[in-house]
Amino acid sequence: MITHEVLVVGGGLAGLMAALAVEDGVDVAVLSKIYPTRSHSGAAQGGFNAVLSQEDSIDAHIFDTVKGSDYLGDQDAIEVLCSDGPSVIRELEKMGVPWTRRADGRIAQRSLGGAGFPRACFVADFSGHVVLHALYEHILKRGVKIYPEWHLLELLVEEGQVAGALAYDLANARLEIFRSKQVVLATGGYGRAFSKTTNAHANTGDGMAVAYRAGAVLSDMEFVQFHPTTLYGTNVLISEAARGEGGHLRNNTGERFMARYAPEKMELAPRDVVARAIFNEIREGRGFEDHSVQLDLTHLGEALVAKRLPQVRDLAIRYAGVDPATVPIPIEPAQHYSMGGVRTDLWGLTTLPGLLAAGETANVSVHGANRLGGNSLLETVVFGRRAGKKAAESARNAPWPALSRETVSRSLEPWTSLLSTPPPASSKQDDLFAVRREMATLMTNQVGVFRTGVELEDAVEKLRQLKERYESISPRGGIQPFNYALMDYLEVGHLLELSTLIARGALARTESRGAHFRVDYPRRDDENWLHHTFVRRKDAEPEFFRGPVAVTRHEPQKRGY
Amino acid sequence: MRVTLEICRFTPERDPGPRFEAFTVSVNGTRTVLDALLSAWQQDPGLSFRRSCRSAICGSCAMLINGRPALACQTLVRNAVSGGNSVTLEPLPHFRPLKDLVVDLEPLFESLKAVVPWLVLRGDYDGRMDPETAAKLEESAACILCGICRGDLGETAKGKPEGVVKALRLAQDPRDALGEHRLRLLELSPEVLKLFVDRLPRHCPKGIKISEDIVQAARKL
Repeated sequence: MITHEVLVVGGGLAGLMAALAVEDGVDVAVLSKIYPTRSHSGAAQGGFNAVLSQEDSIDAHIFDTVKGSDYLGDQDAIEVLCSDGPSVIRELEKMGVPWTRRADGRIAQRSLGGAGFPRACFVADFSGHVVLHALYEHILKRGVKIYPEWHLLELLVEEGQVAGALAYDLANARLEIFRSKQVVLATGGYGRAFSKTTNAHANTGDGMAVAYRAGAVLSDMEFVQFHPTTLYGTNVLISEAARGEGGHLRNNTGERFMARYAPEKMELAPRDVVARAIFNEIREGRGFEDHSVQLDLTHLGEALVAKRLPQVRDLAIRYAGVDPATVPIPIEPAQHYSMGGVRTDLWGLTTLPGLLAAGETANVSVHGANRLGGNSLLETVVFGRRAGKKAAESARNAPWPALSRETVSRSLEPWTSLLSTPPPASSKQDDLFAVRREMATLMTNQVGVFRTGVELEDAVEKLRQLKERYESISPRGGIQPFNYALMDYLEVGHLLELSTLIARGALARTESRGAHFRVDYPRRDDENWLHHTFVRRKDAEPEFFRGPVAVTRHEPQKRGY
Repeated sequence: MRVTLEICRFTPERDPGPRFEAFTVSVNGTRTVLDALLSAWQQDPGLSFRRSCRSAICGSCAMLINGRPALACQTLVRNAVSGGNSVTLEPLPHFRPLKDLVVDLEPLFESLKAVVPWLVLRGDYDGRMDPETAAKLEESAACILCGICRGDLGETAKGKPEGVVKALRLAQDPRDALGEHRLRLLELSPEVLKLFVDRLPRHCPKGIKISEDIVQAARKL
């Protein structure tokens, strides 16, 4: 058994920020399925929204975020997000982030979708990477203990209180009990539930699934963001910064079609609006080879593309064979971000005592039905910091929670027997690959940008069948180092669990709001649906119920761009 | 196209030594070696290799591809197979092999600690930085800690290459209180720095270049 007063699970921006916010004198450790610097936060390109200019205002940032969320975001949480923005940007600067600068030496800001002012602070187009590494440098400085390549298996719950976690050490194929006063989940999103996604292989919603199984409430799982511009075929992300720097979207007639969908904001409308527009163009026959549209940066000039969008350029050249300085990039929308997650309050506290969550894993909810570009990176640091502070404060003041021998052995038993069983014949693993493939294709095709009741019902049923098949598969256990087949088994289990919640939430929500678009219910319905979808596990089945939306300053109004 | 991957297999506790195993996979030439490797994994789920972002930003899939260190996700199959239809994949050298293509990365992350790898903020920093200076810092901030440069650059007096790259970035940061003293702390001679200037761009998957300025600065010290 290993003990740490605060155990942070996840080594991306939210997790590292949480660990750094734990005050001296409180023992904190970070457990992560990959090395922290490998986290998917590092793939974030566009920037961090924060109000730094006199001409901009916190109020304006709040309003843009509320409107972007299609009025489902909790305005008290959004107020925290936007108000803390300027201070975290300065804090990150002092930690060593080399923000891109204006001519006068101040931090430069660019426009991202849905914003009324250029307020995204950035480092060229690898903002997430640079900040992730800066935080990691300070983790080294603080000497925070890291458990890299350790997987969270379960939360240990004693009489309703989280008292630690069971984890698996991938390198040594062994189980370990972590005893903690507070566990902070910061494990990111579930992008790999979808076949077309910008997300890394590691993004399998582990923290959400584990929290759900332990009894925590998840919320708004039906809200899934599809990024408008990913490389056609590979779905590698092409940052919104490309449009922020002036890129245009064109259909096969050369038309800047966004003029018909969002005449004011054009390419910089929020992602849900742009993604639907692109799909609509393709569906109506104005795509290239019926599968893509073009992101055109050729008018920006090579110098700007090289200076402000070096990664975008490199990715397009390498994976699509086109230099965006001279040739438009073929793009298509793909799953990008999980708006839903483990429900938390403004300090990251979940509905399970002793458990906190922050970042994409959490639903606080600042993004509501649709997240604006530049707000997720901001959320990771703002709410990661708050969760870390809160966890430390609670850990300092509270005694160690009880953890009985029975709870420990009950949770260890199935995993111990799994590891003592040698791997089965390989044919069963084929079925695991098939289950994953079928699930991800189903989610993309039937739980994607355009949804209908009929397709969602079918998806729910097919997911049930996939789960049955999954449960008949024997995982590849045994004591083997770096057993990625076992990881795959665990991840598919998590993804199936979450996919079901996403599809069922989408089926229940008979309206269209933000990223959730029901072809059969194309309008927003505030009368019946201006509330969060809460879900918790009851007798092994999801139980859905309604949660209130915090409306403080801005009453819902028509959302046009 | 059909490609044969000759993959190094090795389980230290069990095997007397590493051996190659051939996997034949069908993969589009414009896809990456990582995609091909994922297909091979479906043939033998016991095969171990690290991967995550698949867009050359996380550094997980660094390995030897046809004897040359590179990221599998950044190498297109059609480039890897030039001159035949087979590709050999081995773990990165200069690290202890742990299983198949997985190596022990602890020394890599540990070695960073030797170079004071964080910004030591100057007391008089006023929050402004000249844009050209900031742009210069961006370049070496692109380091993904993949370990690829180790083979070519080996060890310097006080640090391993990835630590040196980080220290050189910080040495150029006008906010850093240590600044150019970092060169002295690392006992980096102009000759060693010249090695970085010349060799780093050869293999670095992020194209990081160390500027000649730093060699000049070291000469002055």
